[in-house]
Amino acid sequence: MRSIPFTTCCTTLAVLAIAGTAQAYPEFQKFVSQKSGRTVNCAMCHMHSDGPEGAAPGQIGHLTLAEQAELGRARGAFEPHANVKSPILNAFGNHIINHLGKKQFLELRVTPAELAHKLPKDSDLDGDGITDVDEYLSGTHPLIKSDGRPWLLFKANLAANLGQIALMLAATVLGLWGLQHLLHGFDVATRVSDADEESG
Amino acid sequence: MKLHETLRNTEKFLAERLPVEKMNYASMVQKKEVPVHGLAWGYYMGGLAMFFLMVQIATGLMLLFYYQPTVSDAHASVEFITDQVPAGALVRNVHAWASSLMIGSVLAHLLTAFAMKAFEKPRELTWVTGVLLLGITFAFGFTGYLLPWHQIAVNATKIGLQTIEEIGGYLPGQMAEWPRQAKEIIQGEASVGQATLSRFFSLHVIILPLAICGVLGFHLVSVQLHGMSKGIDAKPRHMERFFPTFLLKDLRVWGIAFMVLFILGVCLPFESLFAYPLFEPFDPKGSTPDGIKPEWYFFWVYYPLELLPLWVILVGSTLLAVLLLATPWLFKNTNRQTLRLLAIMAGIYLVIMTLFGENIYHLFKG
Repeated sequence: MRSIPFTTCCTTLAVLAIAGTAQAYPEFQKFVSQKSGRTVNCAMCHMHSDGPEGAAPGQIGHLTLAEQAELGRARGAFEPHANVKSPILNAFGNHIINHLGKKQFLELRVTPAELAHKLPKDSDLDGDGITDVDEYLSGTHPLIKSDGRPWLLFKANLAANLGQIALMLAATVLGLWGLQHLLHGFDVATRVSDADEESG
Repeated sequence: MKLHETLRNTEKFLAERLPVEKMNYASMVQKKEVPVHGLAWGYYMGGLAMFFLMVQIATGLMLLFYYQPTVSDAHASVEFITDQVPAGALVRNVHAWASSLMIGSVLAHLLTAFAMKAFEKPRELTWVTGVLLLGITFAFGFTGYLLPWHQIAVNATKIGLQTIEEIGGYLPGQMAEWPRQAKEIIQGEASVGQATLSRFFSLHVIILPLAICGVLGFHLVSVQLHGMSKGIDAKPRHMERFFPTFLLKDLRVWGIAFMVLFILGVCLPFESLFAYPLFEPFDPKGSTPDGIKPEWYFFWVYYPLELLPLWVILVGSTLLAVLLLATPWLFKNTNRQTLRLLAIMAGIYLVIMTLFGENIYHLFKG
């Protein structure tokens, strides 16, 4: 198990004392869970699935001094486009803060549905063909390529791999066509052989 | 005298079930014929299950090159396969889909063989080995489920193993300890951990494949020796030769199955059917996400287990196992119409519990 240096612990405690309690916003998780009917957790926006509090990797108690400084900078990014990279947030969490700014994000806590309207409509961080906004509303992970509403994912992957699928389909159809002719050939040969036996 | 008679009867039984004199090219290839009738599609189910098994072996071997069977690296190696290895995501997804399709086709094969009375003398051993293959297939599913070492894998395995221990509560005296001991042997340590993963990995990639080779070998030889069962009471429309006609038709079905599997493998990640927290790496110190349940092919027993007392399920499962193994003797005099009705009822139960088991559970439990 990874040991946490004493200095890191002390600094973390100091940061916590200054910043108050760790800032996680369950209003969004609750909204997504209710709207989508899917189980979601903090890992949608955070590095750790149990949120920022704790000493596991991706949580506040595990941060180095440099990361704590970065966290402080991210927490102060009240205006949009501050280009911060919070070490307790994943790429989607940072995308939200950088696009909206902390101030607007905090205001959205009372209307979490509005977050979908405020984020860029065409952003697709994991490149799975489903936009981050749709993933947020569907309760699927915007950073996991294999996660998405099954039908949306199926359509997106079908469109993205149409060439390969068409080739495979053509190969299979040709194979089946060949087998059909082979069967027909054997059938004719059997009938000829039976007729020969009967006549001879 | 009695022993001598028993031996003679056993020898006679085996001689009828294993007619080795038919083990020649003429009987097994040239003269073998397949009846053609309304239920003849059922003859393709066994071949389809074997096709999916071959896909499982091929994709499983590819996954073996990268998979690390340790609790620290298992999940990371699976992520590496998915994200970094060329075509790794496709191979892994095909492996996941083919496992489900294999179990589906094995169940369909069992039900159609039952409906066609394919277990009739002299095919009793073919049936019994088929039931054993079903058990091995389920064991493949159960052991393979743990290997990615994510939340749903470890927690569902824990629930499964815990159920074994709970059986002890219904057994008398010293026997009450047996299920706990069995669980510890399977688990290998106090909780599901490295020893469990090692054991499940060994079972999944060595022991079960060896077992399936032996049992499937016997099953296939037995099918070839006895030929296809008649399947219906009426006279079949006509007979077709197994080689090459039926074999080519079988290949046609395999071709379609391959196409479906390829499209599923490319377009629909198996994991997308579940919530993403279930596929996060297992963290013994972290919280357990909602929605932990076994694979869909265990729903027929899992949801009743959640609703009814354990002893009811135990009695039911034991009876079902006995019923399946003794089918050739228990249903010897049952007509095909009744068998077909029973198979349809069993099929409906399986479909309902698989698709609506969760709804039924919530209906009763709120």
